[in-house]
Amino acid sequence: MFERFTKDARAVVVQAQQEARALRHDRIEAGHLLLALTAVEGGAARALDACLPGLDGLRARVRAEIDGLDPDALASIGVDLSAVRQAAESAFGEGALDRDRKEKRGHLRFTREAKKVLELSLRVALSNGHRFISDGHILLALLMLPESAPVRAMRNAGAELENVKSAALREITAEAA
Amino acid sequence: MTDGEQLAREAGSRDPAVGLRAVRALRELADRLETLQVGNARSLGWSWQEVADALGVSRQAVHKKHRNTETSLFARFGKDT
Repeated sequence: MFERFTKDARAVVVQAQQEARALRHDRIEAGHLLLALTAVEGGAARALDACLPGLDGLRARVRAEIDGLDPDALASIGVDLSAVRQAAESAFGEGALDRDRKEKRGHLRFTREAKKVLELSLRVALSNGHRFISDGHILLALLMLPESAPVRAMRNAGAELENVKSAALREITAEAA
Repeated sequence: MTDGEQLAREAGSRDPAVGLRAVRALRELADRLETLQVGNARSLGWSWQEVADALGVSRQAVHKKHRNTETSLFARFGKDT
């Protein structure tokens, strides 16, 4: 399957691992794939950018979804996460509130859901009669999992999923031409 | 109106999306504080029973939840905590 991946799609897979590492996560989740799709300049990033008021907001939402510790959600009930973090760190040292995960060397593994996304990207390519899999196909594959953290993040960031879908379809159709 | 007051007003938000997201984040925050505090208590020599009493849960529950994080917390904070 990977031999069908375009340069951008390969870059997304590599970038997803870097996104996971940067967050000190020990697995590559579907959310890291979405972070990577926003970071690699390609059809998927263009499609997302066209449907959202800025990719930074989406990235923040994805991180909050993956991490669970959402500063905005806490602020909505009057809890100042930065104050709590400061208190915890002054007593227990830097990173005291971070999820307790060891930094992993070598390749990170994909979660079952992230694997599913990559498999679905092949299905998206086949159903569109494409012999290649680009970052746009990966985005369309993500959209097939409406309950996943990255798709929740897209909705919470204010994206109309139908618009993202049609923008991504336009991108992959243009790439095939 | 200060930010704090604005936020406190939103606490009564009737939008379930806002309210439920806050509940989830608060639960996550409580979990992490619990991990931190249980690790600290254990490294100070508290027994599982003492930790359980302080948290208002059974000794079995607290042991089951935290026995695996204990070693990594010791490693993380070193001997001075």
